[in-house]
Amino acid sequence: MFRFLHNHYHALIQGLIRIRANWIGSVMMFLVIGITLSLPTTGFLLIQNASQISNKIQYEAELSIFLDKEIKAEQVDFLHSALKKNSLVKKIHFEPKLVAWEKLQAQLNLSSIEDGVSKNPLPDAFFISLNTLETKKIDSFVTDLKAIEGIEEIVLDGGWVKKLRSILYLIKIGILILGSLLITVLVVVITNTVRLQTLTYQNEIEVSRLIGATNAFIQRPFEYTGLIYGLGGGLVTLGILKIILVSFNLVADRVENLIGGNITLNTFSVEQSIFIIIIAMFAGWIASYIAAKQAIHKLEKNY
Amino acid sequence: MIKFTNVYKRYPGEMDVLQDISLAINAGELVFVTGSSGAGKSTLLKLISAVEKPTSGTIFFENQNLSYLKKNEMPFLRRKFGMIFQDHKLLYDRTCFDNVLLPLAINDSDPSDIGRRVRAALNKVGLLEKEKLMPITLSGGEQQRLAIARAIVSRPSVLIADEPTANLDRGYADEIMNIFYSFQQVGVTVIISSHEIPSTQMKYKELHISKGSLNNVPLLT
Repeated sequence: MFRFLHNHYHALIQGLIRIRANWIGSVMMFLVIGITLSLPTTGFLLIQNASQISNKIQYEAELSIFLDKEIKAEQVDFLHSALKKNSLVKKIHFEPKLVAWEKLQAQLNLSSIEDGVSKNPLPDAFFISLNTLETKKIDSFVTDLKAIEGIEEIVLDGGWVKKLRSILYLIKIGILILGSLLITVLVVVITNTVRLQTLTYQNEIEVSRLIGATNAFIQRPFEYTGLIYGLGGGLVTLGILKIILVSFNLVADRVENLIGGNITLNTFSVEQSIFIIIIAMFAGWIASYIAAKQAIHKLEKNY
Repeated sequence: MIKFTNVYKRYPGEMDVLQDISLAINAGELVFVTGSSGAGKSTLLKLISAVEKPTSGTIFFENQNLSYLKKNEMPFLRRKFGMIFQDHKLLYDRTCFDNVLLPLAINDSDPSDIGRRVRAALNKVGLLEKEKLMPITLSGGEQQRLAIARAIVSRPSVLIADEPTANLDRGYADEIMNIFYSFQQVGVTVIISSHEIPSTQMKYKELHISKGSLNNVPLLT
């Protein structure tokens, strides 16, 4: 076990030596990885913040059922009990037209005589909350209700929250695809860099092979180089995100003072930050693995 | 220890580099592989050290048929040989110490013992005081001695040297050959390729190759 760890320590040191030997190229590589990864991660950060806001909005599908103005009291009672019994209905509130009219008058501070409105224009209405968000179930319920005599109009409220969440979900998927493409680009760029590095160290690879090194032994320092590229790039990504957040929140703070509300962005959690670094390191590792494998394969063909 | 039976080696698009080679090398022998340039000496050494596989025929090393050796078993076999190359193949971006350390790192040697063994090997070839220098600062003879230190540090049972004195003047060449003789005297099998046999009082075997074929030469003293 000690020898195994010593082997890896030796490879890590070799990786660090190679990074130091080409430190300008290595810093460029950190920046390339950092900037490339910061594009999808910034997108995710914005989406995450928008999702957090949308989640704070309590959302239930609500139906407003406006009844015929000429409906009879018995019919209203029948509808009330029928709706109460329905399994989709969570809460039900009946608003008689007289009460609604009084409320409206009080709100608008007017009287019917002054405004020449002699008749109550409002109908009786049921306001119900549903215990489902499934569009199919709600649509079928609305269709059933519309068939009932005495129901004039049905309005579905709160749909915009659902639409907002759907849009956010779609954007998230889009960013995920964009992120995957950018990570693929990263892998290609790192592979090419490590491939060039394998050319520099071709002599070492050849000697190592001739004196009995396994492929794993030869590949290991390159893999550590890739991991270090990933680590450096991941840290640059987090640095860029921090700069974006601080700059945005600075401006947001001033805007908040003018228009009110809370529009500051929250940063990623520690777990999410570690995840970003792991993704970057994984990209670095897989790229260097491919490059080193190719270099060894090419050398093997020469013998 | 090493046995070739009807071995042929052909590279794609070329004639046979080696033809119908049959030979036997016993443990502890000093063997010179001689012949002119392009005769096939280096190819023979590559076959012995399992760097390359024969096109046909069988090669046994310590009763192990190298033809049946799997690709992933090759590196472990190569560790039994100490290889010295004509162009040294030293790593010029690291110190003499680190060059000699490489086979021990590859062999997964005990880390606590590595320093002592590297210095012992450098001492053996007279380069102990130059352990911290970079190989580029050494003379041609010293570089070859460094290559020998790298080959012996993992205490191989066979030392294989491909024209180790080709680019050296007479003084350096004798010095290098004496190092090889000292290893042979402690039981190491030493196989050296050379254009001609160097003058020596040692008991040796000559394998003379001409146009890819082996001309058996009787054991000389």
